[in-house]
Amino acid sequence: MGRMAPMTETPVLAVDDLHVSYGPIGALRGCTLEVRAGETVVVVGANGAGKTTLLRAVCNMLPWTGAIRLDGAPTGRVPTHRLARQGVLHLPENRGVLTTQSVLENLQLAFDMYPPARSFADAVEEAFTHFPRLKERQQQPAGNLSGGEQQMLALARAIISPPKILLLDEPSLGLSPRMVREAYRVLGGFKARGMAILLVEQNVHAALRFADRGYVLRQGVIVRQGEADMLARDTELFNQYLGFT
Amino acid sequence: MLVEQLINGVVLGSMYALIAQGYTLIFGVLDKLNFAHGEVFMLGGFVCLASIALGASLPVAILVAAIISGLLGLMIEFVGFRKFRSPDAHITAALSSFAIGLVIIDLSQKVWGAEPVALTLPGTLQTATVSIAGLNIVVLRLAILVISLLLMFVLYGVVVKTSLGRRIRAVAESPAKAALFGINVTRVNQQVFFIASAMSGLAGLALAVRTGYANTDVGFTFGLKALAIMAIGGMGDLRGALIGGLLVGVLEALAFQWGLGQLADVFVWLFMIVILLVRPAGLFGTLISKDVRA
Repeated sequence: MGRMAPMTETPVLAVDDLHVSYGPIGALRGCTLEVRAGETVVVVGANGAGKTTLLRAVCNMLPWTGAIRLDGAPTGRVPTHRLARQGVLHLPENRGVLTTQSVLENLQLAFDMYPPARSFADAVEEAFTHFPRLKERQQQPAGNLSGGEQQMLALARAIISPPKILLLDEPSLGLSPRMVREAYRVLGGFKARGMAILLVEQNVHAALRFADRGYVLRQGVIVRQGEADMLARDTELFNQYLGFT
Repeated sequence: MLVEQLINGVVLGSMYALIAQGYTLIFGVLDKLNFAHGEVFMLGGFVCLASIALGASLPVAILVAAIISGLLGLMIEFVGFRKFRSPDAHITAALSSFAIGLVIIDLSQKVWGAEPVALTLPGTLQTATVSIAGLNIVVLRLAILVISLLLMFVLYGVVVKTSLGRRIRAVAESPAKAALFGINVTRVNQQVFFIASAMSGLAGLALAVRTGYANTDVGFTFGLKALAIMAIGGMGDLRGALIGGLLVGVLEALAFQWGLGQLADVFVWLFMIVILLVRPAGLFGTLISKDVRA
């Protein structure tokens, strides 16, 4: 069930009337959405609906107009690396791992993002209890890991340096069904800890089962929003907007 | 004598390698060639000359040359590369850095003239020799070799082992990914330019002290050869730049030994073409490799 926050609470992330254009083409045309503390929000939509663009705009990886607030503070002129240090962890579709560096080096870089609250050894220890497979392969370049293992390494960054909000782009893309279940199990753990998560997915059913609330994005415009379980039962939505059943 | 020529070749090669490290470090991280790099090398000799003329001791002159060269590197990054960060801007960055190099040459000639200027150190440092296994070797050459190798090993250690090195390699792989790791890409670019340029300036100082002259020509002759050496070693590979530098230094020394000194430059460029024909990526794979997907 969705967790209803009081309306006075400042959302972790608030996006208001967001526009992004690639030349004459409007990729996002007035998106408004928010993610409240401890909430998991999913944005679903067909390929090319603007999901990835939305996440990239939130991280200031491309120019946009409108308003984006992180904990109430406008992010307009904050560079990408500083947003990351303020706790916006964006794991892009290519998994957000550095393939030329070892597993341990990836974790060390993740650890270096924030002023340390504990030792690196403790942080790594915790990450390895969640992902024993990474411990076995800690000296290997991340590029030698399988797609699923790379996704685990990317998610381990959120354990090493717990973010204010986790932005996930298609975490199930290219993974075997078993690895998809594994990824969602890990994300369930993050959710239980109260981490705010904004997820974009083509895998609509899995995502809506997992999220508290959802938005449906179609050609750069949000056409539906609501409680995830309500959206999941909305057959018209699937027929009309997502182009499949 | 052959052994002496070989030692000369290795000393010469270590200076080539020092310049080539900078070319390859900047190329590895920004994927762009810094054509002003050879002129930073050239100016290193004149900074040393000016420092000595103002009464500085050699260690102070070395420090001043490293710092001024590093600062010059920051200027080159800001003027020639900061605005041309997109992958499509290769030509623009190449042209702008080339122009900066020409400006550095021109200004240097305005100050010091186009002819070589004698650089004489007080004392016997430039002439003192030591006898090792029956060979008389100029101490200064040994010092240059040892210090150059030391600098390169330290740089390699920094890139492979330290936090700065991890950030440098992250930006080399993908600036976009690096930023999502909280890494300030601009800062890393500046650090890379400072380190590369300081090393190049020190190589210029070493050449000026060894030959006894500072010369505004050496950026084009000596410095540009380091570009060939980078290509021979493998673009973006630090080990390749070291091995390539030593190889080319020895090759040139052998050319002199066999009375073909006039053709030494030709040999270097032909050597590069042959290596690239056989191994287009150079002798080594890339240490700082590109992630094409990012």
